[in-house]
Amino acid sequence: MNRKVGIVSMGYHGFSPVTPDLSFRELVYAAASKAYAKAGIGPGDVDMFICAAEDFCEGYSISDEYCNDQLGAVLKPVHTVSGEYLQAIANAAMIIQSGLGKIVVVESHSKASNIKNMEAIHSFGLDPVFNRSLRVTPHFAAGLEMSRYMTESKATEEHCARIVVKNRTNALSNPNAGHGAIISVADVLASDPVAWPVSRLSIAPRSDGCIVTVLAEESVARSLASEPVWILGTGWATESSTLENRAWGEPVSVDIAAQMAYKEAGITVPSQQIDLFEVDDTYSFKELQALEGLHVVGRGQAAHALDEGRLGPDGDLPTNVSGGSLGVGHLLEATGGQKLLELFLQLTYQAGERQIPDVQVGLAQAWRGVPTTTSAVIIVGNE
Amino acid sequence: MSFLEKHQRNVDLTAFDGKIPVHYRYTLGLAGDKFFTAIKKDGKFVGTHCEECDVIYSPPSVYCERCFASLEDSWVELPSTGTVVAFTVVTEDDQGKELDCPQVIAAIQLDGADNTFVHRICDCCIEDLAIGAHVQAVFKPKKERKGTLDDIEYFEIAAE
Repeated sequence: MNRKVGIVSMGYHGFSPVTPDLSFRELVYAAASKAYAKAGIGPGDVDMFICAAEDFCEGYSISDEYCNDQLGAVLKPVHTVSGEYLQAIANAAMIIQSGLGKIVVVESHSKASNIKNMEAIHSFGLDPVFNRSLRVTPHFAAGLEMSRYMTESKATEEHCARIVVKNRTNALSNPNAGHGAIISVADVLASDPVAWPVSRLSIAPRSDGCIVTVLAEESVARSLASEPVWILGTGWATESSTLENRAWGEPVSVDIAAQMAYKEAGITVPSQQIDLFEVDDTYSFKELQALEGLHVVGRGQAAHALDEGRLGPDGDLPTNVSGGSLGVGHLLEATGGQKLLELFLQLTYQAGERQIPDVQVGLAQAWRGVPTTTSAVIIVGNE
Repeated sequence: MSFLEKHQRNVDLTAFDGKIPVHYRYTLGLAGDKFFTAIKKDGKFVGTHCEECDVIYSPPSVYCERCFASLEDSWVELPSTGTVVAFTVVTEDDQGKELDCPQVIAAIQLDGADNTFVHRICDCCIEDLAIGAHVQAVFKPKKERKGTLDDIEYFEIAAE
């Protein structure tokens, strides 16, 4: 039953703040074409397809019914994970491990530039009676979390601003990143106070893009790719969906998802056994909070690790070398796909000027954003 | 490349604008109905108590999310005071438009409860507000209450 699952190829298109020339379906077709070409397969060789998508982001419902044509998946088994890209990857791994399919494709995309009022979609995700009726920006939930996190940890607003500076600077070395910039801590702190302590520049801007991953059972993966990247562990968890019942400052779902993935991957000391981390930074504080939830650093200690330069590209815990969502742009449910893509490029030594030397194991963690408490973790390795 | 021909002039790009008109009725349910009725009629908070977990939920739930027990018959009354667990100052409304004046939103643990209640804090309290502050609810006059979240005007620093 415990078959090894390999990532054969990843095709992507993006990631830029707007894509006025392509429809979202064409965006998917562009990414899928590249993924199949790199794997040397056609969609006819694929046993099952999985899309990670959320209704309303495309301006209509039943988004799952609209994902197959552009993947070459018509008349094939397709299902949609109404969740994060990394949850879809976990589904693909289970399909292959169970023997149900040998080649499985995962897709997700963002055409966020078509959404005229994203706040309305996020607000629509809030409990209508207890939360939406406050009639304020849905970022309020992140503001509450950040204020509590700062109280329970050693992180300050300045630490969080430095995450923004780090990630947007990292993005300058990533030709796919849509939001690389040289900015200062003062710029971040002086930007609009959307939901203090969350400021405008501490929120990941959005990008358009699509990521398609071809996964295969071990023998097939070895025949299709000279250097497959192996899935070592997967985990996901959701804390209470009731805003009022959650632990405001603690990354509970990250912790549970990580423990699940670590158990499968045999990870006991993540800071020593994992070479690089691509973690959620939808809001700047989330990166620090995630590293604590992942037990890469002790609870409340992530700011200290940042102070010591451990999270930079040259540190011993390189985090969001790709630029993260702050630098690449948030990609809706495809966000975790970009994090996995960075690990794939790094572990196959295709990351160009931002390549981290001697990488063997990487961890991707993603969060579904406000107002959810869902996190997913995928651990991959190249040996 | 997957496409041989692409748009090469901005003026060639076309798009269609649309909107999704949907209207809903949200049922408060057993727990929500009792919670808002107590506020509307009596200006009081009620919650449910899970004896097994020794947890009090207010806002209430008629089941315990920890042990799955039914809490239908375990209603308790709570005071209208609580402690600020987290707070934020928001400057935009739910559509992303700038508010006329910033608004303070807080997660408040009502005295005796184990979860939090999210509501506004009076602007006049912002100078004295901190995590850990003790606050009390200010209800609208009974005649103006409609059984909604707005029946509570806001919370303000409690008079000790």
